[in-house]
Amino acid sequence: MHAERLLDDNILLEELRKGSSEAVEALFERFHGKIYGLAMSILKNESDAEEAAQDVFLTVFQKAHTFKGNSALYSWIYRICVNACLMRLRGKRRQETVSIEEFMPVFTEDGMHASPVGDWSKEVERKTLDKELGTVIKKFTEDLSEKYRVVFVLSDVEGLSNEETAQILGLTVPAVKSRLHRARLYLREQLSRYLREGKTA
Amino acid sequence: MNCKELVYLLGDYLDGSMEEHLRAELDTHIEMCESCIHFRNTYDKTRIICRQVQLNEIPEEFRERLRSFVTAKGGEYSREIEKYRRMAAEDRRKQVESLLRAFREQRLSPSLTLLFDTHRDRCEKCGAFIRTLNGGEEAKHVPLEIEEHLAEFLDALPPGEEPFRA
Repeated sequence: MHAERLLDDNILLEELRKGSSEAVEALFERFHGKIYGLAMSILKNESDAEEAAQDVFLTVFQKAHTFKGNSALYSWIYRICVNACLMRLRGKRRQETVSIEEFMPVFTEDGMHASPVGDWSKEVERKTLDKELGTVIKKFTEDLSEKYRVVFVLSDVEGLSNEETAQILGLTVPAVKSRLHRARLYLREQLSRYLREGKTA
Repeated sequence: MNCKELVYLLGDYLDGSMEEHLRAELDTHIEMCESCIHFRNTYDKTRIICRQVQLNEIPEEFRERLRSFVTAKGGEYSREIEKYRRMAAEDRRKQVESLLRAFREQRLSPSLTLLFDTHRDRCEKCGAFIRTLNGGEEAKHVPLEIEEHLAEFLDALPPGEEPFRA
């Protein structure tokens, strides 16, 4: 068995079903980083993320032969991962999250911006600054409730299409779009405040 | 078109999925409104910066521990592949059984009730079977085909929500 052949989803699954140890290894190499990263972004706790990652691999082993291949392998695995994480959150006391409403744009009665909107988009053109802001955004997203955070991570960070995110989360595409939009509005406002304060400080 | 409507539609506007005539209306508003130009620019920039967000990397120690776990369980899996298969089949049977029991005892959550009723009305096979349960009798033997179908239905539910009360 050539290792490259295992990069093909169907062959990998077929080999897993046969119980090939090379397939187990290939599965681990390909997915453990994403699974852990995704679990961390939902659970925000290292040991919870580690246990969730274990659950994900067990579920994949157990369900490999019932997976029908009507979605891509990675989106099936992401779905298992999101499920495993949300199961862990269930019943647990949720950590304090910010109220997203406080960060939504404010309008006058006739639908105009209530106060003038500043433009910081040109100031942050430089790539290095982008990277720094990436770290800042990550911190802000950790304050979001998981309802928004999961959609945001799958769509805007991982770059999945709205359709894929919807399929993974069992949501409709309009629901994904709406959550994503609100998460972006929240982040835009957080960044505005961050950059404004940074300037005066 | 006012600022509030523009902000509401910004996602579709920027990802190009918006109809031409609506886009033209938004363009007309944006040309006249400095705040909206700024809002669009900063919203778009936010989207772009998001691609710089890095997911947490797995610490080396965790990686190796996870690797041992996966290798061990993977080996166990290959030795006991038949056992796992039976376990998965058993799990599926139990899941479908508790779904049907919860349905008979009217313990489905409101959203699941809606989804389940829709499925029953649309799906010929499951529909006929489920209607035989309406009298509240104990579940009959669930035909494999229907069990598979209902298991798929359960798999497609939104994760993280309790589908029925215990």
